[in-house]
Amino acid sequence: MAYLIGVDIGGTFTDVICRDEETGEVVITKVATTPADPSLGLLKAVKLTEKPLEEIALIVHGTTIATNAVIQRKGARCALITTKGFRDVLELGYRDRLRNYGVTGTQNPIIPRELRFEVTERILADGSELKPLDEGELGEIAKKLKFFEVEAVSVCLLHSYINDSHEKRVKAVLEGLGNWPIVLSSEVMREYYEFERTSTTVLTTYLRPLMTGYAGALSKRLLEGGYKGEVLYMQSNGGVLGSSLVGEYAAHTIRSGPAAGIIAATALMGRLEIKDAISADMGGTSFDVCLISDGKPRMVEESLLDFRVPLRTPMIEVHTIGAGGGSIAWIDRSNILRVGPQSAGSDPGPVCYGRGNTEPTVTDANLVLGRIDPGHVIGTAGEISLDRDRAEKYIMERIGQPLGLSKEQAALAIIRVVNANIEGRIRLISIERGYDPRRFAMIAYGGAGPLHAGAIMKHMSLQRCVIPPWPGVFCAVGCAMADIRHDFVQTVDKGMDDLSVSVVDGIVSEHQKRGAELLEQERVSLIQTNIHVEADMMYAGQRHAITVPFRSLTPDMEKIKQWFYDRYTYIYGGLLTNVPIHLLNIRTTVMGVRQKLEWEFLERGREKFRSQAVKGSRQVFFEDSWTTATVYDRLSLPLGEQINGPAIIEQRDTTTLVPPDMVAAADNLGNLILEVRHG
Amino acid sequence: MVDPITLAVVRGRLEQIVDEMDAVLVRAAFSQIIAEQNDRADSIHHPVTGETLAQGEGAIPVFNSAMQFTVQILMQEVGIENFSSGDVYMCNDPFMGGTHMPDVKLIKPFFFEGRLFSILANTGHWADIGGNQIGGFSAGNTETYHDGIRIPGIKLIDKGILNKEALKVILANVRNPSWEEGDLQAQLNALSVGESRLNQLINGYGPEVIAECFDELLNRSEEEMRSYIREMPDGTYSFTDYLDNDGIVDSPLKIHLEVTVQGDSMLFDFQGTSPPGKGFTHMSRYTTMSAVHLSMKHIYPDFPINGGCFRPIRIQIPDTTCISAQLPSSVSGYLEPVNRVIDVVFGAMAQVVPDRTPAQSFGTNLIVAIGGRHSGTNRYFVVSYPGSGGYGASRESDGLVHGPTLLGRAAFPRVETAERVAPIMVEYLKIREGSGGAGMNRGGCGTSFIVKLLGPEATASILGDRVDHHPKGLLGGASALPTEVRIGRQDGQVQMLPLRSKGVVSLSKGDEIECHSPGGGGYGDPMQRDPEKVLEDVTRGYVSETVALETYGVKLKVENGPAGAVSYQLDREATDRLREGYRKQTIT
Repeated sequence: MAYLIGVDIGGTFTDVICRDEETGEVVITKVATTPADPSLGLLKAVKLTEKPLEEIALIVHGTTIATNAVIQRKGARCALITTKGFRDVLELGYRDRLRNYGVTGTQNPIIPRELRFEVTERILADGSELKPLDEGELGEIAKKLKFFEVEAVSVCLLHSYINDSHEKRVKAVLEGLGNWPIVLSSEVMREYYEFERTSTTVLTTYLRPLMTGYAGALSKRLLEGGYKGEVLYMQSNGGVLGSSLVGEYAAHTIRSGPAAGIIAATALMGRLEIKDAISADMGGTSFDVCLISDGKPRMVEESLLDFRVPLRTPMIEVHTIGAGGGSIAWIDRSNILRVGPQSAGSDPGPVCYGRGNTEPTVTDANLVLGRIDPGHVIGTAGEISLDRDRAEKYIMERIGQPLGLSKEQAALAIIRVVNANIEGRIRLISIERGYDPRRFAMIAYGGAGPLHAGAIMKHMSLQRCVIPPWPGVFCAVGCAMADIRHDFVQTVDKGMDDLSVSVVDGIVSEHQKRGAELLEQERVSLIQTNIHVEADMMYAGQRHAITVPFRSLTPDMEKIKQWFYDRYTYIYGGLLTNVPIHLLNIRTTVMGVRQKLEWEFLERGREKFRSQAVKGSRQVFFEDSWTTATVYDRLSLPLGEQINGPAIIEQRDTTTLVPPDMVAAADNLGNLILEVRHG
Repeated sequence: MVDPITLAVVRGRLEQIVDEMDAVLVRAAFSQIIAEQNDRADSIHHPVTGETLAQGEGAIPVFNSAMQFTVQILMQEVGIENFSSGDVYMCNDPFMGGTHMPDVKLIKPFFFEGRLFSILANTGHWADIGGNQIGGFSAGNTETYHDGIRIPGIKLIDKGILNKEALKVILANVRNPSWEEGDLQAQLNALSVGESRLNQLINGYGPEVIAECFDELLNRSEEEMRSYIREMPDGTYSFTDYLDNDGIVDSPLKIHLEVTVQGDSMLFDFQGTSPPGKGFTHMSRYTTMSAVHLSMKHIYPDFPINGGCFRPIRIQIPDTTCISAQLPSSVSGYLEPVNRVIDVVFGAMAQVVPDRTPAQSFGTNLIVAIGGRHSGTNRYFVVSYPGSGGYGASRESDGLVHGPTLLGRAAFPRVETAERVAPIMVEYLKIREGSGGAGMNRGGCGTSFIVKLLGPEATASILGDRVDHHPKGLLGGASALPTEVRIGRQDGQVQMLPLRSKGVVSLSKGDEIECHSPGGGGYGDPMQRDPEKVLEDVTRGYVSETVALETYGVKLKVENGPAGAVSYQLDREATDRLREGYRKQTIT
């Protein structure tokens, strides 16, 4: 009588996966996202599972609310307090323009200039105090905060990562003068780089009231409906966080949906004993890719949310390519076919939706080639059907005629170009990181991923492609299985020879202590707590540090050096001699490990016959001719079954294409494994 | 005739290959300028014409066509019949393809099945190339020989064998030989990656198909470019602007341009431009040509970077100008004439396509480099502030604040980083209020900062321009404020540089450099600016209340709050009256 629910609120759809903890039965639901109040869509999708709220044990939630608030500048009315002379740092950034070429467009700072205030004080780079904090000025600033009706306050003073005494004092003084939530940069980030620290602090402040309000309202609604459990929130670092902390860590929920998908992919890889894979999430407007190497998704320390809006917090590194089902095909001035980055989105959507768009998209091409069923529209219950004639007409008119191609060739050209765009970017991001993509498998999901995965994996010589049981709600699956995660970082910036191990130990134990406090606050049942420590290190003089994982929590300096040598050799293939080593940052991750979900839960009760899975057949265009492909119902497919291409495998949330020279095997966990057929 | 699908895919693959080369170069580089500021370019060239087939997307603009010129000149000098598989040529001679000496170019002929199939090339900005000041932006050079060690397209690697003796000479003349060796290795790695990807591509499609794609891509880009030019009104349009001086002799250098649009081709004629001076604000003709191309791409960002695009544009520069400099002129200050050439191209193109062309941007590189030795360790330190400033407004938008020059994209050092690596302190870093040109769309404001020396002594090399000639507005938009540089001595004295924005000064503890960069020009009549935007400008402090009233005809209501807080509201009636009065006045 207990259910677990994973929810992913995306830009277009709100996805829910609900699992009966006892029987393992799974229900998925998908409704249109309700942007004005996303919790409405969430409640609707949960209601569609037909499970009473009082019987649900836990809800884990990924959301784009914070991302959208930043893009649309709909966060709180915040003020910023900086060291005198530096209130414009937030607006100036580090001297960049919007695009390499093109001079138009301008910056739009999260906090406008009239709400950025300065206070006399100065700490130097070594942490010493040059000028004391002028507390009298804070009294004046407090009056202005009231006059301008500020809701929340960010404080970012120079060099506070090394000496936070002035920032702490600012908070203490202001707390005596008003009741604004106050966020100090030294609480958010202990690294130098004032622009990035200011921006990250400001984002945290800007999103706090919004996320606190959202989480509060959602919990209240759920409680009224009889729900007694906790709501956990997905973070961009791939871990979850309790609702009591979601306000404080609001900026960590940015882009958390894609991160959840990658967590699910990583868990699946563990189960299948795949070490290296590329996750490929293709939806309506974009293709999100992450490299998962040695069972770990790649992380980045920083990402740019908008022009001059960096967020410096550890995130799963998701690359977004403007290539989705809605991507528009067009012919440029040199008469060459291009696809994307413009997208028809879900409104008006592809030409075949018949809602006024006449520019052919990838989905239209798939329809014309017989790869998707006109009666099968994701996210709808059969109320609309796709207009194939209309798709053919505009593909011919816009692409076929100008290039001298038949409608089939034109549609195939669209697919080839979009696949080539995707392949090129995957190649680039793997090579850029020093990986050979041929060592990788692919985990394909999203509404459109399984349609394109076969061709892409073949062109890239990837080993195989795994299509998980519920590709269309895979991010919600990831929410349901993520662990709790808190990250900490402290700048050290010293040569290894000038550093003693007690400094490193001190930082790590401080981080551990703070992590334990947060886990305590979250009150989630855990089976264990794990600590990972890493150091950013480089040869003195180099510009890009490498991340060196600690292999034990009780290192000595020689061990740390050895770990650096090993990692450096692994990445660059050799070491430098006689160059001293530099340690830049210590990073600690505290993980609260939850009871693991078993993959088997996703597929139960499949004692069926293949004949029952065959829905029929249809004509599909491959290479240069129409071929008859058998159409299967994915959920009726017996485990262990092998299906030779050409075939189409349909399910509510996606369509899988098995090209003629490939084979799809349904494994015991309900995955489809696509491989090139040999012999 | 190659099929359209293959052509589309091959073009994408070529673009990806050069992007991948760029990525490899950045990842392994030691030079901060390459690793953090992307001051590099990788490209693939046609085996017969040397034209650029593809160039990395993130390459800084000044390399736009400079790479093609270097490759073409080398092909001519060496003779392609003398190229062998495994050869790599090295060149930093500004008179063989442009820019300045720290930009070290490698050129690698690429062979497939024994035949010259293409040419791979890249450029990396080395941290040092010798010469009389570290970093290569020296304010004081009067001869090419002061700029650094000149490498005139030598065969560094002969059929796979490195010429160690030549490399020894080069490395003996730079200040950080081990880093530069690392940068060279990174450049070589990028070329190898390009080579192996190109091999894969050719193996996939066959050499005939790819060779055909090469020709076809150039022809298609040429046609694309011509289609844009056909849309421009025929005619001759001219524009003149000035550099303050050459850095040694205080008299202005004139840059004059006449653009002729005729049918589907264009002529850029620089007849009437001043001859070179004694100093260092010069550049070779190839840099000038690259500057024309990059300006056009700023106006038409969709132009591919490809030799076909350069075909319909003819550029004429007499041999005797400061922007077609020859031995033994110094080009260490080449960034200033590049800016001015961009400014005159914008000025002329604004008459051709006023809807597309922005007003002039701040137009100076205004480099402030502070260097010396740490007391105690005696190690070298250098902090280099590249000039930033306001962009010109356009029909589409106001101008950007704190933008990089249009020819580059180097980052401004973070305050906290600079203070950690050098004994300096930044007093302030802020928007220069009121410095953007007024207009229906307003020019971006410039940037102001003060850097103070905390250590015992250092040398500052300052190289800027745009003190005497303001960035201009367009179609009734106003000019922006010009550059200002001052040296504040510890005892309270304030000094100007002898050439206002160029010079080398010795600093002692407590001395300060105060720098204010220009804004960008305004676009359109300020009286047509949306009053709500003027309200926002005043609220944010970009524009003063007085300017709002006098220049924009916008009257604001002021509410005074506590502690000097001020809140503004629009006085619509008074504003309408003011603007009505202005309209009547202009009509009569």
